[in-house]
Amino acid sequence: MNNKRTTQLNKKLKTFPPDVKDEFTKAKPHLEEYLTQQQLYEWVDSGIKIASQSNNAWDISVNMFRVSPIIIGSLKPDDFMKWLEAGTNLAIKHPMLGTAFFSSSPSLVQGMSSTNITDWASLGAQLYKDTWKSGTLSNRFFESSADLLEQLSFEELTRFVSFLDIVAKHSYDLSSECLTLALRLFPLVGEDKGRFISLSLNLVETGWRQLKAFYDASLKALPRVDRLQRKRFLDLSERLHLEGIINMPNTILEISQALQLIEKRDHCKLLDIAEPLLDLHPSSFSEFIKSSPIVLAKVSFDKLDAWCEEGKTLLKTNPDGGMAFFKIESSRSEKFLEEISSAVEFQTISNVIELYCRALAGEEIDLADSRDLVEKNIGWVAADSPTTEGSTVYLPETVDRYSKKSENFLWYKVVSTHQVGRMEFGSFRFRFDKPSTRFENTRNSLELKSTEGTNSNISATTDIQKFFNFFEDRQLSSDIFSVIEDGRVDAKVKDDYKGISKGYVSIQLDALKVRPNTQDLNAREALLELLVQISLGQKKSISVPKNYKEEALAIVKIARHAMDSRSSVEDTSEATVRIYAILIEVSNETVDEDDWDPLDFEEDESEGDNFSDPEGLKETLDSMGNSAGDDPADTQEDKYNSPQEVDYRGEFKPELTQLLEKLREQGQYKDGGNDTDSITQEMMDQFAKNSVELSQELNDGASGITSDEIVENMLKEVGLKKPESLEGGQGPLVHVDETGGELESDEPETFVYDEWDFRAGDYKPRWCIVRQKYMAEGEDSYYGSIVQSYGNLILQVRRQFELLVPETMRKERRLQDGEDIDIDDVIETMIDIKSGSSPNEKMYWRRNKVHRDVAVVFLLDTSASTAEAIDDSKSNSDQWNAPEDPVEYMLWLRSRRGEGTKRTYKRIIDLEKEALILLINAIEAIGDTYGIYGFSGYGRENVEFYTIKDVDELFSDRVKRRIDRIAPLHATRMGPAIRHSTSKLESIDARTKLLFMISDGRPQDRGYSREGVEKEYAVHDTRMALDEAKNKGINTFCLTVDRNGHDYLKTMMSDMGYEVLDDIYTLPHRLLYLYRKLTT
Amino acid sequence: MATKTSNSTKTLYQSYVIEEYHLKKEPYYVPVGDEIQLFEAAYSQRIPVIFKGPTGVGKTRFVEYMSWKLGVNLTKVKKEEKPGEERQQDNLPLVTIACHEDLTASDLVGRYLLEGDRTVWIDGPLTRAVKAGGICYLDEVVEARKDTTVLIHPLTDHRRMLPVEKKGELIEAADGFLLVLSYNPGYQSALKDLKHSTRQRFVSIEFNPPPREIEAQIVSHEANIDIDMAMRLAQLGEKIRNLKEHGLGEGASTRLLIYAGKLMAAGIKPRRACQVAVNWSVTDDHSLQNSIEEVTASIFE
Ligand SMILES: Nc1ncnc2c1ncn2[C@@H]1O[C@H](COP(=O)(O)OP(=O)(O)OP(=O)(O)O)[C@@H](O)[C@H]1O
Ligand SMILES: [Mg+2]
Repeated sequence: MNNKRTTQLNKKLKTFPPDVKDEFTKAKPHLEEYLTQQQLYEWVDSGIKIASQSNNAWDISVNMFRVSPIIIGSLKPDDFMKWLEAGTNLAIKHPMLGTAFFSSSPSLVQGMSSTNITDWASLGAQLYKDTWKSGTLSNRFFESSADLLEQLSFEELTRFVSFLDIVAKHSYDLSSECLTLALRLFPLVGEDKGRFISLSLNLVETGWRQLKAFYDASLKALPRVDRLQRKRFLDLSERLHLEGIINMPNTILEISQALQLIEKRDHCKLLDIAEPLLDLHPSSFSEFIKSSPIVLAKVSFDKLDAWCEEGKTLLKTNPDGGMAFFKIESSRSEKFLEEISSAVEFQTISNVIELYCRALAGEEIDLADSRDLVEKNIGWVAADSPTTEGSTVYLPETVDRYSKKSENFLWYKVVSTHQVGRMEFGSFRFRFDKPSTRFENTRNSLELKSTEGTNSNISATTDIQKFFNFFEDRQLSSDIFSVIEDGRVDAKVKDDYKGISKGYVSIQLDALKVRPNTQDLNAREALLELLVQISLGQKKSISVPKNYKEEALAIVKIARHAMDSRSSVEDTSEATVRIYAILIEVSNETVDEDDWDPLDFEEDESEGDNFSDPEGLKETLDSMGNSAGDDPADTQEDKYNSPQEVDYRGEFKPELTQLLEKLREQGQYKDGGNDTDSITQEMMDQFAKNSVELSQELNDGASGITSDEIVENMLKEVGLKKPESLEGGQGPLVHVDETGGELESDEPETFVYDEWDFRAGDYKPRWCIVRQKYMAEGEDSYYGSIVQSYGNLILQVRRQFELLVPETMRKERRLQDGEDIDIDDVIETMIDIKSGSSPNEKMYWRRNKVHRDVAVVFLLDTSASTAEAIDDSKSNSDQWNAPEDPVEYMLWLRSRRGEGTKRTYKRIIDLEKEALILLINAIEAIGDTYGIYGFSGYGRENVEFYTIKDVDELFSDRVKRRIDRIAPLHATRMGPAIRHSTSKLESIDARTKLLFMISDGRPQDRGYSREGVEKEYAVHDTRMALDEAKNKGINTFCLTVDRNGHDYLKTMMSDMGYEVLDDIYTLPHRLLYLYRKLTT
Repeated sequence: MATKTSNSTKTLYQSYVIEEYHLKKEPYYVPVGDEIQLFEAAYSQRIPVIFKGPTGVGKTRFVEYMSWKLGVNLTKVKKEEKPGEERQQDNLPLVTIACHEDLTASDLVGRYLLEGDRTVWIDGPLTRAVKAGGICYLDEVVEARKDTTVLIHPLTDHRRMLPVEKKGELIEAADGFLLVLSYNPGYQSALKDLKHSTRQRFVSIEFNPPPREIEAQIVSHEANIDIDMAMRLAQLGEKIRNLKEHGLGEGASTRLLIYAGKLMAAGIKPRRACQVAVNWSVTDDHSLQNSIEEVTASIFE
């Protein structure tokens, strides 16, 4: 450096704060390496120029000097000088931007052309409008430039800046927010960032206020969209916006939520289908996508296309209808969906199949989702396969195995038939002592022999457990038993139900397709698999280990003999003994690839009939237990694994089922005294420890449940132990044996009644006190609102009832005067004259209104159990507040869809009340005498009898208000309430008297009706009270509202006026119908 | 075989359908329980009988059968006692009256008719049965007017008398006479229940659908179809009856099963035959129909 010049410059530098000089000194040696003398001077000069701008500008110089060594490392000297020039110009023009420019440079300028550097500076300058706010924006721009350029080309950057510039015209804050968001957005946008920028630009022009929301929404939405479809997604967003969708950002958010539920690779297909909708009706586009997850849950993409086409067609002729279609809010839409979807849902078939099962079994079988049983935690674990525990058939939630709906339905039907078959054909009615019909009995000898056996000292709680106890390897015996029994049930079903057998066989064949290859199994497992496949009707040959070919043949023979429609469950047990004896001798070792032989079995139909045990069976059985003496450790036996479950059969747990049944029975007759048969807590614990069916689960430990808990759950299940959460209102159900003597009615409005004790065969005198009071009054608007909501129906019903009146017009004959003469009577009169007897002069007839003379008492069950919800779908707030979590979203979406069709949350009592209101309307139309009472109570001294409308009271607003207050109260003691109503009716003079009781079929009260003998007591007493009424010339009718078969009364009421309503929603109609029928 | 009341050409009043049977050949009847013994015992003691039971389970058929059977027996006894006397009819006369709500006492007892200048008394069906000593079967008796009870009561206690008010007569029932009522419980209209004082003059024989094997035998015979098909029809009947609690007022009657069988015999496909003859006849409820349809489909190919 020229000294003179140097000193000059040094001097100048010293006029600034020392930092300037320091940085200069530090940087200079680096630059000297690259720059010419001249350039060096220019460099210093620039620094001085910048610093001289203003009082604070020296700081910019410091920055410039500080970064210079870094910049010179990445730029050619000429370019360096350009950079310097651009920066200097900028700093001089807009001191505010200088620092940002220089300090952002190092991370940025690498590899940049000189023009770009200059342009970059001017981009920053472009944003700066001499205001503090714009300065901030511009600074932000410089700071972010490096990041931006990682995403954008320089050209795109330029366009982005012009975008920011335009936004800034509206709001600087918005612009700088967009900048921040854009930094996070660009990486999400995918390849074509330019598109996003143009979209942003367009949006500014047409709706800048949505910009921020759009950016926010995109930030959430884009990650949910398949990367390759993001550009398209943005294009579509723009289209939506241009088409005038009001809240585009929200819409794309919703769309993305739906897309999230669909596989990313399918997004393209989906958008392909959806896009044409934009031309047709822009909002339908988003509604279609929003509904697509629901649709796709039911159908394939092809069908989705069909569904969309259907909607489009509709859209063209009827836009509103089309929209409702895409929202799945029209029945046409649901119907169409239903038609094209092949999956069958449990929900939709449960009604038909439940009645089907009941018809087949002749028992009150319920149907439920398999998950319900698993949740009960009483030993069953498979949540999506069918099964039964003896009283309910459990089925998986949906079936989508076949491409045709009818086939999926058939699957449901076949599996239900199988499960019912287990009940109908006695799988759970196994009796240890019952002889088998097709085998020689060996069970007794087993019993004799095994007095010293290992397991036999364990007391068995059920017959089936007793049976399993004789086997060393209980798991093996249980597996054999299950397969054969299921095979037997299959054979029986196919024989008994010829119509379904074809479908049955095809489902068996499907089950065969997924069976493992025996060669992949160890020897014993292979033979068991052979058994399974035989039970499924395998016709092809099966590989069996060479060494065990004879055994395999023997097994096939036994199995075929047992799996026959003529066999009983006891035959299954005998077959189990025999096959077990064979299999226990087969060590479960791996078999060499070459040591397998195919086993062919010709269809020998008659084979089943001439079965005889091989010689020496007895010896084999005798030695069966002893062979366990061989130390299993010295063979290379692997642990034996049970065969893979057959899907259409599901879990089979006879041991648990028998126990449950026994417990249920015990519940029924609990008070039956010191029954030696009854199961104690210890027995339960023993059972749980011994049960093969539980041990699997307990050993797995996966469920983390203990045997104690299972025992507990079982007791709850059968009602021997009540779950903690009681159906509101009821006191603790500790057993109160109702002791004590006769009661006195000491207060006004109390009445004492006898009660029937069926055990004693006599009445308990003065046993119950009925306390009669008026129902409290609520609002009378309730009444009106119900009338309104039933609007049309009310009118209809009134008309129907008014029609009753002419129906009762009867032709009255033998009148002195009337409409016309009666020819019969005229003739008779003539005859009388001829035959000389005094003639009858009354020969006119008239249509006469026969005076309807009906008095009726409605007795309404207001016990706590009527608080039960009819329908669990409580309505949610209808705002758009979709949850983020996809699973929840799905549920939410479904519920939203359902809202339109389903009623909101109602209790049994609500429907009772509604029915009542309809009835009042009707009865008022014909003028019958009627009273309405509710009853509830707790204990025999507190039977509450609420007057809602007394028989001799006129209908009034007070009655309306009382109806409002009808609510679930305590327990139910039906007998006394019936007796009290009877006495009311007795005091009335009417030709026809009717006592109409509406209840939920559960006469529960403390000491009156809990499980067991009490329940019977209650039912008997109720029945007796009704009989008493009948004997007093009062007709009775019980209408029971009961969806779940809790109805205990039914059994006793076979020849009474009695009806069970399955579908509670029919209550109002049914009640009216019955009333009409009963009183005409 | 039904004969109208005589003089129909000159009848100026409305006549009611009254069936009077003289059975020529043994009616086909398969006993289900001890009903034959019960009825024979009741008849031998002349205790009136009520048949209780749902529709189409063979009540009418049973009374026909019994009248035939008892007639045969009686004739035989008489022949032995009085070999000279011959009886033309080999069965007990059976008078069947389908009751309806306009049926009055004089419809049962009889009335005078004009014949030229003269009046002629015509016996009603009940009177004829009383005189002839036959079985009078009042079908669906609750449907009849209440005034008929005036007649029923004296006939059914020790008096065994029929008051004929018009003629001022009391007719003593001939030895063979027995009154048999049929009555279908279930929910009757409250206005129409039988009075206790009436019911307690009778013994009740209950009729229920026969077990599968017997029903199959009946269906096979009546519809003339093979026993296998009949078995399946009986199976269907049994399954449908399991649904009685679920909205079916009454299950499928034997009669309906026979109808289905007859349709099959005439070439209708089994499922279709069951649909029209059984399913659609027992219920109008759609969901119930669907379930029964499935049951049918499981039983018939
Ligand atoms: N035990 C039986 N033996 C023979 N046939 C029977 C028997 N039970 C029913 N049937 C057949 O069923 C048909 C209907 O029986 P029937 O007419 O006697 O019924 P019902 O009980 O009188 O019915 P309703 O109460 O409707 O009059 C008969 O025609 C007959 O073919
Ligand atoms: Mg009949």
